[in-house]
Amino acid sequence: MKKLILFLLKIYQKFFTLIGFGSCRYYPSCSEYSKWQVLHNNSLKAIIFSIFRILKCNQLFEGGFDYPIVKRKLDDIEFKSQPIEIDYWFIPTKKKNQFYVIKNIFKKVS
Amino acid sequence: MNNDMQKRLLLATLVSIVFFIAYDFLMPKPQYIDINKTQNSAKEAPSVKSIASDASVEEAPVVDSNIIAKVVSDNFDLEIDSLGRINQVYLKSVKFQIEGHSLPLFKDNVLKPLELRLSNKELNKEAFEINYVADREEIVLKNQPQRLVLTQNLSNLTITKTITFYPSGAYDLNVNLSEDKRYFITTGFRPDVMADALTFYGALFKEFDDTLTMIDDGDAIANQTFNNIKFAASVDRYYASVLYDIENRLNAVLLTDNEANPLIFIDGKQNYNLKGYIGAKDFEILENINPELTDVVEYGFFTFIAKPIFTVLKAIYDFVGNWGVAIILLTFFVRLILYPLTYKGMVSMQKLKELAPKMKDIQAKYKGDPAKMNAHMMELYKKHGANPMGGCLPLILQIPVFFAIYRVLLNAIELKGAEFMFWSDLSLMDPYFVLPILLGVSMYVHQLITPNNFTDPLQAKVFKFLPVIFTFFFITFPAGLVLYWFVNNIFSIIQQQIINKVFEKKKALEKKANG
Repeated sequence: MKKLILFLLKIYQKFFTLIGFGSCRYYPSCSEYSKWQVLHNNSLKAIIFSIFRILKCNQLFEGGFDYPIVKRKLDDIEFKSQPIEIDYWFIPTKKKNQFYVIKNIFKKVS
Repeated sequence: MNNDMQKRLLLATLVSIVFFIAYDFLMPKPQYIDINKTQNSAKEAPSVKSIASDASVEEAPVVDSNIIAKVVSDNFDLEIDSLGRINQVYLKSVKFQIEGHSLPLFKDNVLKPLELRLSNKELNKEAFEINYVADREEIVLKNQPQRLVLTQNLSNLTITKTITFYPSGAYDLNVNLSEDKRYFITTGFRPDVMADALTFYGALFKEFDDTLTMIDDGDAIANQTFNNIKFAASVDRYYASVLYDIENRLNAVLLTDNEANPLIFIDGKQNYNLKGYIGAKDFEILENINPELTDVVEYGFFTFIAKPIFTVLKAIYDFVGNWGVAIILLTFFVRLILYPLTYKGMVSMQKLKELAPKMKDIQAKYKGDPAKMNAHMMELYKKHGANPMGGCLPLILQIPVFFAIYRVLLNAIELKGAEFMFWSDLSLMDPYFVLPILLGVSMYVHQLITPNNFTDPLQAKVFKFLPVIFTFFFITFPAGLVLYWFVNNIFSIIQQQIINKVFEKKKALEKKANG
């Protein structure tokens, strides 16, 4: 299920954004937002949040920064001795067990 | 590096062009099915235990049938044969004519509408040997419905079919058997004028809860039953043979020919009243007969959007009298509704023009790191309270509308042969390639004046070639669809130009005021 959604998103990002001028009003863009949601949330929730996001993505809304928010209990954290590559940051919101998902864009490009 | 980039770009463009051409090539083309091949079926014995009883739809022996009666009207001619069937229907209006001849709906040697099959084997055999007798040889239909009585006298059974024909192509049918024998009556094999892979053809049922069930030709399963249905129809792209009883419902069973095409049989009663229609799937005609019948016109997956779009398009057409103009006006109205949205977007784009130097800085600073660039760009927008992007919702809403118009152009008989300027048929591809080229040009101009935020440089380059790719891609699409998109682009461009002008004037005024 997740793989299918990610695959469809990839097709959308490669082709359909071309037709639509890549015209998202948000960062991350709707398709990126959906991708992050699918990666870090359960599929049903991810779909629902993504639909809301798309509905908001029109000129009646301001646009701008809008990161996915996921609920997660971080109680099985594994500490590694080696430094790791960070893909996504989980930034705590004001509520307990709730995090913004933010992609690490300061990664070294290899 | 730059050279390499260009090579990759060229490759990408070539690959996409090849992809679209191959796609177009592989797409099933309109094809006419050789009916004569499929026809033995009706003569073979599809002995069917059906509808929870020991009744069976019996075989039909090979019998030559003669025309015993004719119905002549302004719009159609109809022939009844000695088996008591509607052997042929000719549509006479100019729109349907082929090289000056009226259009026959049915192929020869296929199952014909109103063929009756008795469940009792011997009775059935006898029924196919004894001719029906008509009470009149010719009926001239003017404004009044007219009645034709067909009688078949078997040794122990008399079958009477009383058909009342209406000028619209609708008819009322009464079947009366002197004794209660189980029998089935059919809508016939579907009309076979326009059956191609682009649209649905086969059997169509409207169930009591208004859901539609479609059985494609070649996919039918023998003995499948459909109980409590509102109508049963055999259809091709533009034409249909329908039997219906909206209030009392019908029970139908499917037979198949040897190519698994569906043949619809309705379970009969001793004294049975039902109604029918044979002709074009014209929305207005069907609506006048019975609004429930309009579901015979079917647009596939996007029916729920295609139907309202057709209704609006038809209303505009009734007003202006030309489908091409109607499409242009439809585009105009859609844009008018979206105007407040697009206006807001375009104004905020103007604001951003002042930010252009800063944007360039960001672009230069984060070259090669699209994610960072986008994030900083968004920060800039936020700071200045402007966002030039149209948004994903308007785009995603456009997609179903686009498909719906495509299906309307393909499926609606009303748009067949729709003339516009020098195009003779908007439902077919543009024979002069003018519209696809105009589409490409308008798309290019539209791209020039619309902001985009492509993060992948390759994507950004392919984007520039998109007008060319789309020109090729849309060459085979219905001209009306290309017209829709072209006009849509034109309206966007015009709107942007007007807003630009207004802003320039405003600025000039401000300057004067200040100076």
